[in-house]
Amino acid sequence: MYDVIVIGSGPGGYVAAIRCAQLGMKTAIVEKYPTLGGTCLNVGCIPSKALLDSSEHYHNAEHTFKTHGINLSNLKVDLKQMITRKNDVVKQNTDGIDYLMKKNKIDVHQGVGSFVDKTTVKVTKEDGSSSDIQGKNIIIATGSKPSSLPFIQLDKDRVITSTEALNLKEIPKHLVVIGGGVIGLELGSVYARLGAKVSVIEFMDSLIPTMDKTMGKELQKSLKKIGFEFFLKHKVTSVEKKGKEVTVKADNAKGETVEIKGDYVLVSIGRRPYTDGLNAEAAGVKLTDRGQIKVNDHLQTNVPNIYAIGDVVKGAMLAHKAEEEGVFVAEALVGQKPHINYNLIPGVVYTWPEVAAVGYTEEQLKEKGIKYKAGKFPFMASGRARASMDTDGLVKVLADAETDEILGVHMIGPRTADMIAEAVVAMEYRASAEDIARMSHAHPTYTEAFKEACLAATDNRALHI
Amino acid sequence: MSKVIKVPAVGESITEVTIGQWFKKDGDTVQMDEVLCELESDKATFELPAEAAGVLRIKAEEGDTIEIGAVICEIEEAGSGVAAAPSGESSSKPAEKETSAKTTGEIKDMVVPTVGESITEVTLANWIKADGDFVKLDEIIAEVDSDKATFELPAEATGILRHVAQEGDTLEIGGMICKIEVMDGEPVAEASSAAASSAPASSSAPSKDSYATGHASPAAAKILSEKGIDSSEVKGTGKDGRITKEDAQAAQKAAPATAKAESKPAQESAPAPVAGSRNERREKMSSLRKTVSRRLVAVKNETAMLTTFNEVNMKPIMDLRSKFKEQFKEKHGVGLGFMSFFTKAVCVALQEWPAVNAKIDGNEIVYNDFCDISIAVSAPKGLVVPVIRNAEALSFDGVEKEVVRLATKARDNKLSIEEMTGGTFTITNGGVFGSMMSTPIINAPQSAILGMHNIVQRPMAVNGEVKILPMMYVALSYDHRIIDGRESVSFLVRVKELLEDPTRLLFGV
Repeated sequence: MYDVIVIGSGPGGYVAAIRCAQLGMKTAIVEKYPTLGGTCLNVGCIPSKALLDSSEHYHNAEHTFKTHGINLSNLKVDLKQMITRKNDVVKQNTDGIDYLMKKNKIDVHQGVGSFVDKTTVKVTKEDGSSSDIQGKNIIIATGSKPSSLPFIQLDKDRVITSTEALNLKEIPKHLVVIGGGVIGLELGSVYARLGAKVSVIEFMDSLIPTMDKTMGKELQKSLKKIGFEFFLKHKVTSVEKKGKEVTVKADNAKGETVEIKGDYVLVSIGRRPYTDGLNAEAAGVKLTDRGQIKVNDHLQTNVPNIYAIGDVVKGAMLAHKAEEEGVFVAEALVGQKPHINYNLIPGVVYTWPEVAAVGYTEEQLKEKGIKYKAGKFPFMASGRARASMDTDGLVKVLADAETDEILGVHMIGPRTADMIAEAVVAMEYRASAEDIARMSHAHPTYTEAFKEACLAATDNRALHI
Repeated sequence: MSKVIKVPAVGESITEVTIGQWFKKDGDTVQMDEVLCELESDKATFELPAEAAGVLRIKAEEGDTIEIGAVICEIEEAGSGVAAAPSGESSSKPAEKETSAKTTGEIKDMVVPTVGESITEVTLANWIKADGDFVKLDEIIAEVDSDKATFELPAEATGILRHVAQEGDTLEIGGMICKIEVMDGEPVAEASSAAASSAPASSSAPSKDSYATGHASPAAAKILSEKGIDSSEVKGTGKDGRITKEDAQAAQKAAPATAKAESKPAQESAPAPVAGSRNERREKMSSLRKTVSRRLVAVKNETAMLTTFNEVNMKPIMDLRSKFKEQFKEKHGVGLGFMSFFTKAVCVALQEWPAVNAKIDGNEIVYNDFCDISIAVSAPKGLVVPVIRNAEALSFDGVEKEVVRLATKARDNKLSIEEMTGGTFTITNGGVFGSMMSTPIINAPQSAILGMHNIVQRPMAVNGEVKILPMMYVALSYDHRIIDGRESVSFLVRVKELLEDPTRLLFGV
């Protein structure tokens, strides 16, 4: 009898398992796939970053090296090698999880985990053999899968999801991306940098529509420069494949039908919670009508000894959100009282420029009727950004009009994915914009832009603009 | 300018208090009405609120016993430039600075008012306002002691105070206390001079409360939540009063949580005993303890106390309780405990045996037609005995609600002296600590006390058969000077009867 069984070994699941083991619980983890790490490590965050970095190098070699004073001849993309290197990165990471499981004495059960009753999980291997394991507590961390539209036939060859997009055999000539969210723009960037024409069709009126509107606008400008074309406020009505050609039809805002032809179509309209084969009913665990596992504020399902975390429950589908929840449940199981501040979970887009944000957007503050002041600082005015020729983008700080408390930070620019951590720390401590403005930031760094934006928010006294 | 805070008069017979605990440190910025420290008198513990906002300067330390009217601390009021003055000098005299307010030339003489029929003279306990202070109409300027009570003296006009009598002076009614040079408006010199003098000192000026004051860091928030402490109970030492991890680790539950630094000295003086150690420790008795000890000995010496015992079969009450527990709770929002049964039974018996409910006053016996039942409650600082008033008129749920209310206040040290004085009979329950049998001491000036004990399964002979029944011994200690054996024993038997057949309570039979 285990103290805890974790179903799913993504960032939520494996972190939950490690924290449980650290707290002295006898822990098992069940994983359907042959490697640990879930979507994030195998077909998500890590491989996409590997390809983004490779393609960024190529892009720079092609476009900026000359200005830097480096001349190359015979510059070529070796896509096969790029994919191989990406696979190596994935393997190193998943092997790392194997090591962490051993180190923490966590039993790994390979196979599909499904509930028999509220304390028993059946693990079915690929060869059909199965065994039952029992746990006092069970954490569901089965994550999510790419979702699609009912009329789209995903053939996984030309009409593909993010999973296939990480393993293409050739660089598309024209990649049509359905959905202008994080995944579509990141993978679109990979192939745009490698020379593909990329057309993005988005239903909403801006890119990355859940983020602050300024971010979408700025990102659109930057991506246009590398060969993106955008069809905003377009509703996709059909996707048809004929041989090597795929035709996407969409209605524009005026109700006219637009036809876009490409050789590959990436469907990236979002992800759905994944509970296939989990047999949650056997344990009596209830799902929401959106297919999520229903949990209370303590991430507990309606069955008291069963918890659920990550993409399979409500909230943003982010690896770091799942990790926090994994730690939360593990600690709650031993009677501790952890807390997650969901408003301060940062969101990041690994395009170039990178986009990162935490806290409220300007739109949310307006809606809530909170009086705020905004301070902006463009990377154009940053010495560090000029030196690296990464002058696209800006930092926007939103602070309370009266108290000067930072309420939201939105960044688009070089390395903002790393820079956002400072904003999270500041906001967890409820720092004011002036607090940041009065802290020394090393020069020359990209983070000075955050300080300057804070100065601008304090009372419009940025120094370098 | 600074505000001198003195020990307020807390009750008629209380002459001195002990400082239990400072919640604020010397030099802390305090808000108006924020609790500064806890004072213990021999009757109760009470909290001392700040009478002004500003920087606290402590004048008396924890454990000090000080007289009513003595200075506890001063508050250097915020916004006055003096607050930041390094010398700490605080008794400025703003009236002597430039002021825009005009002296009208009128001088108001203030004399000792008539305070009571038999009072002919009073003592000026202390000046709350210093000589030369600007005072507003009705602002309290001094405290005056009579032999019956302490009262506060309000200013009879707005203007500059000029002392005539000194602290400690005995004054006749009608005697001159002070004069007020009547003024129109208020002096504004303070503000302007403050602006001038505070500028260079601003870096050392204590930070004011901000929106982030009391915000717990993520790690601190988790610790506090696990300790069950609200962040508002913790004083943050971080930037702008933020609560750091260390603050949270040092925070303590129950007795209002304060920072580690403040509780440390006490811990150091009382290290955990080491095995084999022959160390002994001396601690000063608290006022409360001193009073308790004095009164208990007095009761032993001055009364003719003895105890009668009986035993009660608790089965009928327990059956009734289990039968109606849920409904009672649902209807009244309070649990049905044993206290309501005992209190009601005692009230019936008291009314039948009035001597048990009486007290001696000189050469007279005072009979009470009401039953004010004192209940002994264990509080953090020791035993306290709040009173359920007119318990004879209360319903069961009325008694239970009152018990819960008083016990909660006792636990939080929030009982007022009012709530602890004037009972006519006491019930004490040593059973909660496991006592099988004991002889309680009368709660003077009352004449009797009922002791409840633990409930134990005992073999009893019932109609010639052995039955196992939940039994409780009850003890009645009483003052034989006014209660005869017949009365005390009959009283206790009556209580037993009522408890063993609670339906009797319905009919009063």
